[in-house]
Amino acid sequence: MAKYLAQIVVMGVQVVGRAFARALQQEYAASQAAARARGRSGQQSAAASSITGMSLQEAQQILNVSTLSPEEIQKSYEHLFKVNEKSVGGSFYLQSKVVRAKERLDEELNIQKQEQNQQSQQNPET
Amino acid sequence: GNMAKTGAAPVDEIMRYAEYSPKTNIRSDAEIDRRLVSVRVVVGRYAFQLWKPLGQAFSETVKKMPSAGFSSYYKGGFEQKMSRREAGLILGVSPAATKTKVREAHRRIMVLNHPDKGGSPYLAAKINEAKDLMEKETRR
Repeated sequence: MAKYLAQIVVMGVQVVGRAFARALQQEYAASQAAARARGRSGQQSAAASSITGMSLQEAQQILNVSTLSPEEIQKSYEHLFKVNEKSVGGSFYLQSKVVRAKERLDEELNIQKQEQNQQSQQNPET
Repeated sequence: GNMAKTGAAPVDEIMRYAEYSPKTNIRSDAEIDRRLVSVRVVVGRYAFQLWKPLGQAFSETVKKMPSAGFSSYYKGGFEQKMSRREAGLILGVSPAATKTKVREAHRRIMVLNHPDKGGSPYLAAKINEAKDLMEKETRR
């Protein structure tokens, strides 16, 4: 009886060990994929700055937003766009910068959304 | 507009990395040649692998940039070093404007963009910088 019990315990340990190893492997693969996605979005962000001629930092400074909150961005954009209307004696040049800043931040939000979508595909249980 | 410095830097770094080749030990000339050829092939292949994702990132981003309706606005960010031309554009005056006109324009634009009324401190700083630059060289 003890012999059979011992066999069952040993098999049990082996099963758990294999499952644990498999889980570790999956975690590692997921984190590698996540790192790749972040790398990709970093590249896309750099590309957007280069193409638009406006860095993410400058876009945030122009619209005076510290975080990439869509509500904050929209509110600031609408105010700054309005006060710089040519018809009220505002500067079209400044209005243009406000527009380009909004574009740049919208693009950054897009890039982040893509990264999040890819990550959730890798981790369906989260 | 000008290229933002932070935007161009990553591309430069990638190019420098692609050109790096490891040092070889002193060997026979034939062996050194063979090694250099294989190193060039490896570096070339690696450089291509670095460029491909960046190139893809570029084309993906370009496709998504809005085109219609935004083309009349000035492109890009502010100049890295403000020029007299840009100062004039910020204040909405000609580069040859008189001191009075500059002062008038500055007051108007600043009132509209005042940080105390929800304006952007960064834009306010640019507006002040534009006034200082215009006044520096204006005689009238």
